[in-house]
Amino acid sequence: MNNPLAQRRAEGRSALQRADELGKRAEFLAFLLGSEAYAIEIGTIVEILKPLPITEVPRADPGVVGVMSVRGRLVTVVDLKRRFRLTRSFSMNKKSRILLVDAAGEQVGLLVDEVLQVYRLTEADIEPPDVLGNEQPAHVVGLGRPTGGAVVLLLLDLAPLFSD
Amino acid sequence: MAEHGGGRGDSAGDKAREEFFSEAQEIVDGLSRDLLALDDVSRRGGSDAELVNDVFRAVHTLKGLSGLFGAAMMSGLSHELENLLDDLRLGRIELTPQVLDLLFQSVELYGRILAAAKGDAPEPAAEVKGLLSALGQVAQQKGGTVGSVVAQYELDPGLLGVLTEYEEHRLRTNLQAGLSLYRMRVQFQLSTIDSALDDLKGKTRPHGEIITFLPTGEGGDAESVELEILVASRAPISTLRGSITGPNIFIEEVQRRDAGPARRASVPPAHARASDAPGHPGLAPVGGAGTEPPPPDVLGEESRSPTSEPPPVTPGPSLAIPAAPPAVTGFGVPPAPSGLPGAGGPSGPVPGPAQAGQAAPSPGGRELSLRSVSQTVRVDIRKLDHLMNIVGELAIVRGAVAKLQERVRAQPHLREVATDLHRLQRSFERHLGQMQNGILEVRMVPLGQVFDKLARIVRQLSREHDKQVNLVITGAETEIDKLIVEELSDPLMHMMRNAIDHGIEDRDERMRVAKPAVGTIALNAFQKGNHVVIEVEDDGKGMDPAIILQAAIRRGIVPEAEAREMSAKEVLGLVFEPGFTTKDEATALSGRGVGMDVVKTNIAGLGGVVDISSEIGIGTKMTITLPITLAIISVLIVEVAGRTFCMPLASVEEAIVFDESMVRTFEGREVMSQRGATLPISRLAKLFQLDGVRAGVWINEEAKTPKPPEVRPGARPKSYCVIATVADRRVGFIVDKLVGQQDIVIKALGKSLKKAKGFAGATELGDQRVGLVLDAAALIHEVLSPTEGRFAAGTSTSTSLEAPRPRAELGLRGQNEEEGHL
Repeated sequence: MNNPLAQRRAEGRSALQRADELGKRAEFLAFLLGSEAYAIEIGTIVEILKPLPITEVPRADPGVVGVMSVRGRLVTVVDLKRRFRLTRSFSMNKKSRILLVDAAGEQVGLLVDEVLQVYRLTEADIEPPDVLGNEQPAHVVGLGRPTGGAVVLLLLDLAPLFSD
Repeated sequence: MAEHGGGRGDSAGDKAREEFFSEAQEIVDGLSRDLLALDDVSRRGGSDAELVNDVFRAVHTLKGLSGLFGAAMMSGLSHELENLLDDLRLGRIELTPQVLDLLFQSVELYGRILAAAKGDAPEPAAEVKGLLSALGQVAQQKGGTVGSVVAQYELDPGLLGVLTEYEEHRLRTNLQAGLSLYRMRVQFQLSTIDSALDDLKGKTRPHGEIITFLPTGEGGDAESVELEILVASRAPISTLRGSITGPNIFIEEVQRRDAGPARRASVPPAHARASDAPGHPGLAPVGGAGTEPPPPDVLGEESRSPTSEPPPVTPGPSLAIPAAPPAVTGFGVPPAPSGLPGAGGPSGPVPGPAQAGQAAPSPGGRELSLRSVSQTVRVDIRKLDHLMNIVGELAIVRGAVAKLQERVRAQPHLREVATDLHRLQRSFERHLGQMQNGILEVRMVPLGQVFDKLARIVRQLSREHDKQVNLVITGAETEIDKLIVEELSDPLMHMMRNAIDHGIEDRDERMRVAKPAVGTIALNAFQKGNHVVIEVEDDGKGMDPAIILQAAIRRGIVPEAEAREMSAKEVLGLVFEPGFTTKDEATALSGRGVGMDVVKTNIAGLGGVVDISSEIGIGTKMTITLPITLAIISVLIVEVAGRTFCMPLASVEEAIVFDESMVRTFEGREVMSQRGATLPISRLAKLFQLDGVRAGVWINEEAKTPKPPEVRPGARPKSYCVIATVADRRVGFIVDKLVGQQDIVIKALGKSLKKAKGFAGATELGDQRVGLVLDAAALIHEVLSPTEGRFAAGTSTSTSLEAPRPRAELGLRGQNEEEGHL
């Protein structure tokens, strides 16, 4: 029970390790979910899309918005806000974007409220997730505090979110 | 197979391995075909050296391949087989049924070794070992070779001295079989000798077999060479002279020292076939004389022709000794060409596919050239899927261009441009259509690919079961999507097992009811519109509805009360129920109660339907109807609560106007009467929980928000009932609107949607809108499964009530809350 969890944790931290290898710097794309700022490593992002028509899929998980077609390819769109239980309702507006990401061998669209900017974070800019408490979900890999900014980013690893 | 690609984690290695698998599989398939043909020939008492050669080559290639990939087990097996086959083709051992069995077993084992290598099955180590030792035993039994028929011919001992062992064997065999021996002298230009020789072989092949060719050493110059070619043929010399024509070709018969004129008369013209069937159907039993081949000297000096110097063979005078007519007819040469493979049409287990299949070798010339005989490429089907996707994208571009053209047309001063644009667009559309068809065509493969495997299984099963069965295949050339062919082998195999085990009676029983001792299973395939129909029909004892019903009741598949009201057809359909069997004890073949339900499920998974009809004492016929391709399907587009869904037309029986007054309710299940039969219905809006406000998730600023679903009990809006049928089960799905029919390219949903059951995929409907394609089989099953329907509209789980559907992934967070909200 504990072991797999620890393992997932370890995998979750791989982003940080990779940051280490890359001269202790990594680039993260920051975005908003509601009023909270999140960031994912930029390498996992394939493309940033403006909202396209999305077709609802009955019986899908509640976090799933539906499917859309990106140049002929079917992409499942996930609402991260609902996935993280930040909200129950669904909303989309002019600032909404869909981040097309590679997650666990499948391209998935992440619906976010607004895309902010790319931050380069050094190891010193990243706090371990347990500053938020001991039992953090595996997809939370740390807190980013870009130098000179007031913003605090919750750094995400997508792999644990999309693997079973 | 553990020794496989250990440590080869890299993708290049993986790719190479994958290619190895597919190539090996292809070779094994070809091997199986050849063996079946060989089996067929040998049962008629003949043999076919070309086939033995093909088998030998296939095994040889497998050996090379497996060596390359470190597949030790396969390589070891191939090595022993190769030895056996070499003995076989050189006539050192006979092609007995026992040897054939070993060969068939080896094909079986190759399949299992390949499966093991892919990790699908355990390694058949013990079986391989057993086969290897059996092969070893056969090798011990090598008989001696046959004596000196050859010596009776006017052949140059020098020539005989340079023949390879194989050529010598072929020469002997042909002569024993009573064929005439001809000598051709042909002058070739060195610059074109390759193609000219191939051409000559092609012309000769219909009439006989080329034993060998050697340069004569004379008649040539710097630019040309004269070859002497020995040909064994049944045809009289006039036929050969008539059909093998060309400048500098000289043909003569090699005379028997002691035969002369009597011999020529003995070759009936009936044997001069024009088909390309191998020209030596009567391999005489080997070992009859039991002596060694004659050393060249035996022929003596007097046979040497005075005119020739180096390998000198020229016509000699025929010495007529009437005592020796071709002593061969007694060896069981089939009397007429109709008994040869390839000539009988659908009469045997080896029809067209051997020719139609991708492995069909081109006749003639294959031993000379290193160039690959096959003009085909092997393509990963995913690449074709990718191409298909691109075509889909182009279709969207086409739509955009059409819109642009409309806009341009609206501008009066641009009318000319609009016309040009229109023309371009038309041409674009046409080419796009051709491209789509082209890709679809590439995906098509003949059903023969799977039928060949079945023939092997039937042969094996009928031997195991001691029932004589003749498998008659027609329509093996019918083409169907490659993906479907792959999925068909298991269901068809189960059907064959059932036909042999339950259908065909044993010999005594057949005698008693005055049926031919040999049972027949007919496997027919044909295309019908956008569908392919495969029929499996046996002439066995048929299915007795009473027995089926009894068995079903005994096994609790059907309650006794319900059973009484079932129609005969419904009763037959019970055999597709999980757990159904009429046998109390499982036989090795079937009767374990798995099989027919697998058949049904697999076929339904392909969007197909299985039908069954049977007459007691006459036989049983199962009919599979399948869509030709999985990639493009025709759908009926329907609207439910403002959403668009696609129902595969293959599953749609009809669509009728629906009226609430038609509905009756039993235990919460809604049904209606339709043409005197009860039809369970299911409201798609309810089934998918679309009645609620969940519509909020389908939003886009540009796209129209779906209309809120009409409120029910008020002014009753018109709706429709789409009657879907899969394998005899029918359900009427209630929808709001029928939009129309369309051919669509279906795409799989991502794996994060795997848990949303009831959808076969999705497609783009234009305007970038995605339409979900319903999985009719799954939905029908769901609606008819016992738990469904008893829960009225009030319960709102968004999942179906079908049991085994873990929702672990997201279940930890938010699901209940979410749904409570919705």
